[in-house]
Amino acid sequence: MKRSAGCTATALALAAMVTWPALGQAQEPIRIGAPFELTGRFAAYGTAGKRGVEMAVDAYGKRVLGRPIEVKYVDVQSNAQVTVSAMTELLEQERVDYVIGPITSGVVSWATPPWRQRKPVWLVPGSSSTRNETELGKEKYFFHPYPWDYDYHASLTAMLKHYIGTGKKLAIVYSDGAYGRAHLPHAKEAFAGAGYRIVLEELVREGAADYSPALLKVRQARPDLLLGLVQTADAILLTKQAKSANVGVPYLVGTVYAALNEWQKATGAAGDGWLSVTSYMPNLKRPGNPKYPKLFPSSDDWEKAFRARYNREPEFLDPLNYVAAVMLFMAIDRAGSIEKDKVVAELEKMDEPTFYGRAKYTKSKGGTLHQAFSAMIVMQRQNGKSVVIYPPEVAKGKLITAGP
Amino acid sequence: MMPKARVKAAAWAALAVAVLAAPALGSPVLNDWNVRICSLMMVALSWNLTLNAGLISLGHSAFWGLGSYAALLAANRLGAPLPLSLLIAALAGSLAGMGLAALTGNLRGIFFAISTLAFSEILRVVGLMTPDLTGGAEGLYLTPGLRPAPAVVTFAVALGAVAAVVVCAGLALTRFNLACRAMRNNEDVSKMFGINPLVCRVQCLAVAGGMASLAGGLNLWHGGFLDPLVAFDLHVTVLSQIAPLLGGIHTLVGPVVGSVLTVFLSEGTRIGLGASGYSQLVLGVLLVVCVLAMPSGVVGLWRRVLARRARP
Amino acid sequence: MGLYVQLLVDGLFLGGLYTLAAIGISLSYGVIRIINFAHGEFVMLGSYAAFWLATLYKLDPLTSLPLVVLGGGVAGYLLFRWVIRHVLEAPHLNQILLTFGISLVLQNLAVVLWTGDLRSATSVVSYAAAELGPVLLTFSRLIAFVVAVLLVVALLGWLKWSELGRATRAVAQNQQAALLMGIPIRFIYALSFGISAALGAAAGGLLSFLIPLSPWMGFPLVVKAFAIVALGGLGSVMGAIAGAMLLGLSETAVSYVLPGGSGWAEGVSFVFLLGILLLRPRGIYGQALEEQHR
Repeated sequence: MKRSAGCTATALALAAMVTWPALGQAQEPIRIGAPFELTGRFAAYGTAGKRGVEMAVDAYGKRVLGRPIEVKYVDVQSNAQVTVSAMTELLEQERVDYVIGPITSGVVSWATPPWRQRKPVWLVPGSSSTRNETELGKEKYFFHPYPWDYDYHASLTAMLKHYIGTGKKLAIVYSDGAYGRAHLPHAKEAFAGAGYRIVLEELVREGAADYSPALLKVRQARPDLLLGLVQTADAILLTKQAKSANVGVPYLVGTVYAALNEWQKATGAAGDGWLSVTSYMPNLKRPGNPKYPKLFPSSDDWEKAFRARYNREPEFLDPLNYVAAVMLFMAIDRAGSIEKDKVVAELEKMDEPTFYGRAKYTKSKGGTLHQAFSAMIVMQRQNGKSVVIYPPEVAKGKLITAGP
Repeated sequence: MMPKARVKAAAWAALAVAVLAAPALGSPVLNDWNVRICSLMMVALSWNLTLNAGLISLGHSAFWGLGSYAALLAANRLGAPLPLSLLIAALAGSLAGMGLAALTGNLRGIFFAISTLAFSEILRVVGLMTPDLTGGAEGLYLTPGLRPAPAVVTFAVALGAVAAVVVCAGLALTRFNLACRAMRNNEDVSKMFGINPLVCRVQCLAVAGGMASLAGGLNLWHGGFLDPLVAFDLHVTVLSQIAPLLGGIHTLVGPVVGSVLTVFLSEGTRIGLGASGYSQLVLGVLLVVCVLAMPSGVVGLWRRVLARRARP
Repeated sequence: MGLYVQLLVDGLFLGGLYTLAAIGISLSYGVIRIINFAHGEFVMLGSYAAFWLATLYKLDPLTSLPLVVLGGGVAGYLLFRWVIRHVLEAPHLNQILLTFGISLVLQNLAVVLWTGDLRSATSVVSYAAAELGPVLLTFSRLIAFVVAVLLVVALLGWLKWSELGRATRAVAQNQQAALLMGIPIRFIYALSFGISAALGAAAGGLLSFLIPLSPWMGFPLVVKAFAIVALGGLGSVMGAIAGAMLLGLSETAVSYVLPGGSGWAEGVSFVFLLGILLLRPRGIYGQALEEQHR
């Protein structure tokens, strides 16, 4: 008697388990993996990525195809082993078919081998290192909505040629870190190709406490341009020491850091004159997309919403991750399915104007199959403000020389 | 007495079988934890081995990184398959260990410790400054085609950990162990018993260096990517000490239990606290609590519990 | 010629900063025999304190330095009384685990409170400089150096002439004898730890306008500080100064003289450290006591 009751209960439970997924189909969430650097050395980047994705989910009304969006944020702790664990967890246990993040080049490299095990659709809104382009660019499921390092130097040289012509002397300071090493060959190629004479190539140590030796050599080389190929932290030291050492170089050229609020606050007056490329910065006053006013509002409105929610200024990574995530949700919606290949096809077809730039994946110069937002603007710090100086159609000011 | 020893042996054997059989289940997440626990176990046992001889190492990341690079270069450049690359990794670590021991023969205590730390930092700088060999800070991938299935790599790591336990257990039965203990208590006095401290140190670091390098090599096959900051990360050194300290130093079971506990705590806080950004903060608090509550590690706590039970 | 004078000046300034960062470790190791992995976090917290005082209350980091030092001292004293004290009787190595745990807590507390964003304060002296012939003197580094020297001299004076300082030295030399002399060892321990933390915070206060700040800035500093302390001979304040100066000078010299030198500098200084230890197995001031590890 008792035994048969047990059997019935088991059968019922089994039946429930079998039918449950069918019943729950309509409500089964669409799951997206979001491995970000939320703690550890690169926390500033990963938390920006997470903010962007959070905003995107809310802007989209938290649902796609009538099903709730469930973003599984995992912390890769800026650590290689943990990155492998986190990716394995997302891909194999959570079985997500869509991954957005991480941001920094090194962490993306760590995440690549585990990604290869199952190859979900992978959006990397960050990582300018072409090391990752060589490794991932040709992958069908890899999407890169951010410029590669050669895009930086193409924009910088175009701007310089526009204002000061060619033939000037250039000194390069680069770090022994992944950033400096990755940028150096592309920078040399672009600047030499544009007709600049490289008079000094000086290596500095990532995380060092004193750049005086490198700056002395810059002073002695008397270049017209100083190009600093270093990460944000080193850029702060370089900027402050260049100011106090009074290097006397007319044009101070950075990569992307001078457009970061973080760098601007840390360097203060010392930042004046520095140039930077960026794909976005606050107060660009770009229009929204009239077809999707809620998803792609004007830059002013988006920034207002961002400030209200996070009580801080957005950096370029915030809107970048926002736009990348919204594009993914739209592609899923248009595909009418969460099948990988259909969504990829929709992402390939998509072409929308947004406050972040034209949202369209094309082929990159270096062979990345899915590349978006490669166009960059150049800005300069002038009297404590960021002034767009290139390309001419959006410029609000002109290039000036640094210091006296 | 006999049955108790037999129970112990059976428990060890069961543990070994479980760890070796786990990859057959084919769960990637389980495999990943298995790799992290087993590779940590190997460096932890290695560190404990040097400690048994009275040598405090602050340079286990050197062996770990050296092994990783040896395996990577052997595989990428020479096309060495997994076992051969691991053999090369272990040999590289052994040689480095012997060299370090011979070089630092008259350094004691904290001075020896700092010299191992310097060794690791030197290797990191060399790795960063020789991009033609190591890929520099940009790093190198293990050629993807060379990698066997994850279950195979996991099995290899598990095998490595079992081998490390067997080696440590075997050494504990030899004269070498007695010599080490004598050195630990007093190096000068140990000479009176006819022990040559230099020879003992060289032997000890040969085994320990090989073991830690093997772990590094195995971890490379699991991760598939390497750069000098990852390879010579001083946190490997710190973890290789934390695991034995949590478990109980100078014992065999201590580093084993400690490794499980360390990975359990760090993965537990990471998954449990997820995206909150508090995971590492809580891990730190847990470490502080553990060391205050279990000054002699899990093994010490267990012994205290047993002693209390034994009292009528 | 100008290059070598410049090299000497920059090396000396860097050495001054290293001295201040390392001397606290030397003191706490010398007196309490504790290997404090969390010392770098005292530096980090000192930096953040100076930064926030500058940002919120417009205090120049040089003006707020006394406050930062005092705060660091009190925090160190309390940390010792509440936490560290408990592991003194435990196996010696547990300190590694404990102080690493504390370091992890403090780092991540900083992230939670202030995010991982990079910061940097500005002092009135930040961008002033003078050119003496071919030699460039940046005032920020010069003043940091002078302050570091003053603090170290004050510490040495205190150790040598004050009653408590003498008691501290007695404890460092021989605990048992000091105990028999009626010296309150526990208080001396906590006091030394507090002073050690205060010196770390002072280093942080000066670094706040020299280098970028982040919650993780402490760990690389502490590694270097250990090397310095060992180089000089553990527990000897004079040794720590000598070690820091040697390291600062050798790093700067390699950076100036070798091509790509900045990248090799740190490696070369560790080779240097290894070499000196091999020649003088107990550091430059090698009278340090035999290790007491179990």
